[in-house]
Amino acid sequence: MLALLKRYRELLLVAVLLLVPLAVYFAHAKRPAELSPVDRVLLAVTAPLEKLVGAAVTGTMEGWSGYVALRGAHERAAALSAENRRLQLAAQELQQQRAENERLRRLIALSESEPRRAYLGARVIGVRLAPAGLQLVTIDKGADDGLARDMPVVVAEGVVGRIHATAGRSADVLLAIDRNSSIAVRVDRTRARANVRGLGRPDLCRLDYALRSEDVIEGDLLVTSGTDATFPPGLPVGHATRLQRAAHGLFLEGSVVPAVDPTRLEEVLVITSGARDPSLLPAAGGPGVGP
Amino acid sequence: MKPLAYAGLALLLAALQAALLRHLGGGAFSLCLLAPPLVHLALTAGSAEGAVGAAAVGYVLDLTWATPKGLMTSLAVAVFLGVRLVGAAVDVRGRRGFALLSAAAALGLSLGAVALQRVAAPPEAQPAWGALGARLAVEALLTGLAAPLVQLALRRLDGLLGAEAPDLIG
Repeated sequence: MLALLKRYRELLLVAVLLLVPLAVYFAHAKRPAELSPVDRVLLAVTAPLEKLVGAAVTGTMEGWSGYVALRGAHERAAALSAENRRLQLAAQELQQQRAENERLRRLIALSESEPRRAYLGARVIGVRLAPAGLQLVTIDKGADDGLARDMPVVVAEGVVGRIHATAGRSADVLLAIDRNSSIAVRVDRTRARANVRGLGRPDLCRLDYALRSEDVIEGDLLVTSGTDATFPPGLPVGHATRLQRAAHGLFLEGSVVPAVDPTRLEEVLVITSGARDPSLLPAAGGPGVGP
Repeated sequence: MKPLAYAGLALLLAALQAALLRHLGGGAFSLCLLAPPLVHLALTAGSAEGAVGAAAVGYVLDLTWATPKGLMTSLAVAVFLGVRLVGAAVDVRGRRGFALLSAAAALGLSLGAVALQRVAAPPEAQPAWGALGARLAVEALLTGLAAPLVQLALRRLDGLLGAEAPDLIG
C-alpha cells in the first residue's frame, strides 16, 4: 500500500490539488466569500504596490501634461473639474432632499429620523474588472479610516457600488455592475419600484422586478429607493432602456444604462454615516431588497 | 521554494495589473497576467512542484478576482495539466508559442470560471455567455500580447531560484 502511494504520489498530489479546491468551491459557491486573516494580509500587501505603480504612472503623465504641455491650463482645469464635481453632488443632493421633503412633509417622524450623511473621499488605485470574477475597484482608504463592509460608494453622477472588503489602508468596492449587486430603486418620475442588477459588464445592467403594469418608459431615471438598508434614497443608479412588455407575466423586461461609467472612476465618496436600521424597514425580505 | 516564489510573483503581477488597468482603459478591457506563470510552470517545472505552484497562483487569482474560494485554485491546476499535455504533444518554443498558450490559458481560466459559476452560483448571479463573450476574447488576446514580457520576468525568477540553491542540482 505504502509502495503504491509512493509510486503514485505525484499523481495523487495533483488530483488532491485539483479536486479539493473544487469541492471547497461547490461547498461555498452560494455564499459570499468571507476573507480570512491570511487573505487580508495578502490583499494588504497588494495595495502599496498598486499605489506605487499608480503614483509612477500618474507622476509620469502629470509631469508631461502638467509641466511640459499645458502647465497652467491643466492645473486650472483640474481644480475647476474637482470643484464642479463637488457642486454637482451638492446640487443633486439639494434637489433630491427638496423633492423628498415634499413627499415626506406629513411623515414628521421619518424626516426626524433622517440622519445627516458623512462622506469620506477616496482615490481609486486599482481596477479589477475581470469578466469571470467580481467587478471590483480598489480605493486607498480602508478599515483604518473607518470604512466597513457594505458602506455605499458614490460619485457626483450617482451610485458606484458598496464596500466589499476592507484591509487596513485599502478597500475593495463591489461595483453596481457586478452580477452579485442588486440595488433597490424607484423610477424617479413615477416612484415605481424595481431592482437594478449587474450583468458583469461595464455598460449595461438588468432591470428586475419592475411590474408590467407600472409606468416605466425608455430613459426614465432610476434612483435608489433606500429600502435595501445599504444605499440612502435618491441617488441616481441609471436610466431605463430596452424595455419589453410581454403579453403575459408579472414583470417587464428591461435594461439599465448605469449612471456611473466604472471605467472612468478616479475619485469616489464613501458614505460613512446614514445607514438605517434594517429591522425598521418595511420592505425587508421583499423583491425590492438588495443582496 | 518555487511555489512560494510564484505566489509572491503572482501577487506582484496582480497588483501591477490592477494599477495599470486603472490608467489604461479603466477596466473597459481586461487581461490576465497570471495566466503566463501557469504556462511557464507547466512547461518548465516538475509535476508536483508545478502543480503546487499552479495552485498557489490560483489562490492569488481567487483572492484578486474575489471569486468563491477554490474556484480559480482548481481551474489553475486544471489549466496547468492542460498546458502540460499540450507541451508534451507539441514542441512549444519561442515567444509566439508561449504567447499563444498564455492566451489559451487565459481563455480557459475565464471560460472555466464562467461555466462553473453557471453551475453553482445562485440563478440571479449566474454569468451570461452573451454578455461576456467579447470581453473574454479581448482578455485572452491582450494576455497573449503581454505574455512575452511576463516570460522575461519568469525566466529571471527561475534564474534567481536556481542560483539560490546550486547544491540541490549538483
